[in-house]
Amino acid sequence: MKFKAFLTENGVNLLEKRFLPALDKMGKVCHLYLTRDHTMFLHNLLNGDGIQSVAQFRKEALFDDYRISSQNEDRIAFAIDISLLQRAVRSSVSICTEFGSGPTHNRLQIKLVKKLPPNCTQPMPFLTFETKGYKSAVIQDVPISKPFSRAQVIELQTALDMAQDLPQTLVQVPDLNQLQNFVDRLKHVGDLLNVSISKYGDLLVQISTTLITVGAEFQKLLVIGEQADAPAEDRNLSAQTRSARAILRGDAQSVQVSVKHFAKSLQCHLAKPDCAFYGIAPQGACLTVIFQFFIPGSRQTDKSISLHCRLPVLDPGSS
Amino acid sequence: MSTEGPDLVCEVDNVQGIVDALTAVRWKRQQDAVVELSEHGMVLIVEESSCLQAKVYLQRELFIKYEYGGAQGRPRFGVSLGLLVNCLNTFSVPAGGRSSSTIEIRYPGPDMQLLLNLYLFANSIIQIEIRCYIVFYILRSVDSLDACIYAEIRTRIPETISWDYNFEPAGTTPLSFTVKSAALKEAIDDLEWPGSSVQIILQPDPPSVTFKGEGHGDLQIDFMYYVNTDLLIAFSCDRQVSYRYKYKFLQATTSNIPSSVIRDNRGSKLTIGRGGMLKVQHLVSVARPSIPHPHVDSAGYQQPSRIAYIEFFVKPEEDESTIND
Repeated sequence: MKFKAFLTENGVNLLEKRFLPALDKMGKVCHLYLTRDHTMFLHNLLNGDGIQSVAQFRKEALFDDYRISSQNEDRIAFAIDISLLQRAVRSSVSICTEFGSGPTHNRLQIKLVKKLPPNCTQPMPFLTFETKGYKSAVIQDVPISKPFSRAQVIELQTALDMAQDLPQTLVQVPDLNQLQNFVDRLKHVGDLLNVSISKYGDLLVQISTTLITVGAEFQKLLVIGEQADAPAEDRNLSAQTRSARAILRGDAQSVQVSVKHFAKSLQCHLAKPDCAFYGIAPQGACLTVIFQFFIPGSRQTDKSISLHCRLPVLDPGSS
Repeated sequence: MSTEGPDLVCEVDNVQGIVDALTAVRWKRQQDAVVELSEHGMVLIVEESSCLQAKVYLQRELFIKYEYGGAQGRPRFGVSLGLLVNCLNTFSVPAGGRSSSTIEIRYPGPDMQLLLNLYLFANSIIQIEIRCYIVFYILRSVDSLDACIYAEIRTRIPETISWDYNFEPAGTTPLSFTVKSAALKEAIDDLEWPGSSVQIILQPDPPSVTFKGEGHGDLQIDFMYYVNTDLLIAFSCDRQVSYRYKYKFLQATTSNIPSSVIRDNRGSKLTIGRGGMLKVQHLVSVARPSIPHPHVDSAGYQQPSRIAYIEFFVKPEEDESTIND
């Protein structure tokens, strides 16, 4: 089992400034899953209850000179502490900028190693960052879990395949910051959030307890997938009534998720996506949020980067 | 469904100011409040153990629109203060930093609810329902987006106020002083250390106010009128009086004083009434949000000061080691 690659400048930027801060909010530990073509950061795919997040990069998005081999179709997976990884990347960046005339000259190599730590009898696996400065090299070892066995990798791959189902209707959230601001305040009101998404492009998020109902509705959002025209007779009704009618008509779905999970999913804006879409998976299996990244300076999707989260549904709702 | 119009329809353009004012009387997590509506404005009342009562006066001048439907008697409803504050807070979300928001408050709604509507521009809705049977609807529009936030808070039938806080002057000369709110808060915070009870002494010669805490140790804080007129702004007292108050009640009067009060360098007025009843008054600004509205304020137009009045009434401790009259 071997893995060795050089992080590109772009890769360092993507990880250090955008993805690691966002992924850190998803949970302390994630699975790093490396294949011949892709690098993936996976949260909660194997244990059921948390928010699942899948960040996937084509190897070119992050690395140069990418070499991977394993007896398991060149697939390697292990658990890693995001904050430690973030720290290693960050200090590597500072070493590069401190010593070099430019980061491109100071290549940052990352590889999988087994080392005997002090006071240990067993060698332990590490992800090692080797930064070559002007006259020095700095090596940082980030401890990782024992690499996954063949069965575990298959289990992870299966979970990943299952996490790829697309909602039939996706609506684009116009302003993630604003929604996050709102949801952060909602957290003080209750724990359970109802989310309804209609084919008309309506997104309704609402907390309902015995004492209070607070919600926000966004209308006429961009719809991807199945869409329909909002019936004219509904126009002057309240948000809740319209949503209820759309659900009855089969034009909308509603699920209940944890407010905390929803707030976490909004934290992904730290990864600086260009668009965000919310949708409800078939049969109300989960609430999915898909982030879209454009090729810098264009409106074209950057297919080398993808990020999506799946929020567990606490109540099947009215699906 | 009531056929008549609502008792109240009003609009607020500074949600944060209202939140600040209401937070000032929020001294614990779970508090039941009673809201009373009248043609003059809205009063929110909270109390504890028949020893402490607080009132927030939101006069009609604080609202950019205030239409009172002239109900017979003053409509009242009970509501959880924490819920109301948290809910209003969700409405104070800056809408992309572009504009302030305007809440519409309505009472009662179709099911005898109190409705709060919060508008930003066109057609967004925040709705709060308060059942039993009062609902707040807050409508709010978010920029040109077709977005709305709504809330409904349930209300209760209010309990009768258990204790009549009729505040009567102690004599012909009022026993009162006005102190910088920041200094008052600091003094009361410092008195936490000695413990359970605080004695407040007013004396005319030399004109001074003394806060004295005794418990785990002694701490005495003196405000001398002539020494520091910046701190003790006004003073009126013709004889020495002294009363003891439970520390936790005294602390409640300043524990959540809004930061805007300190920032605006305001003063708080304390008055001792008959029987040692202490009245503490704060002023909270509910001014229009500072972002200029070129279309509303022409140059040179000074908006009248919009202040919410907050009053606390604290009963003195029964045990009379007090020197009085």
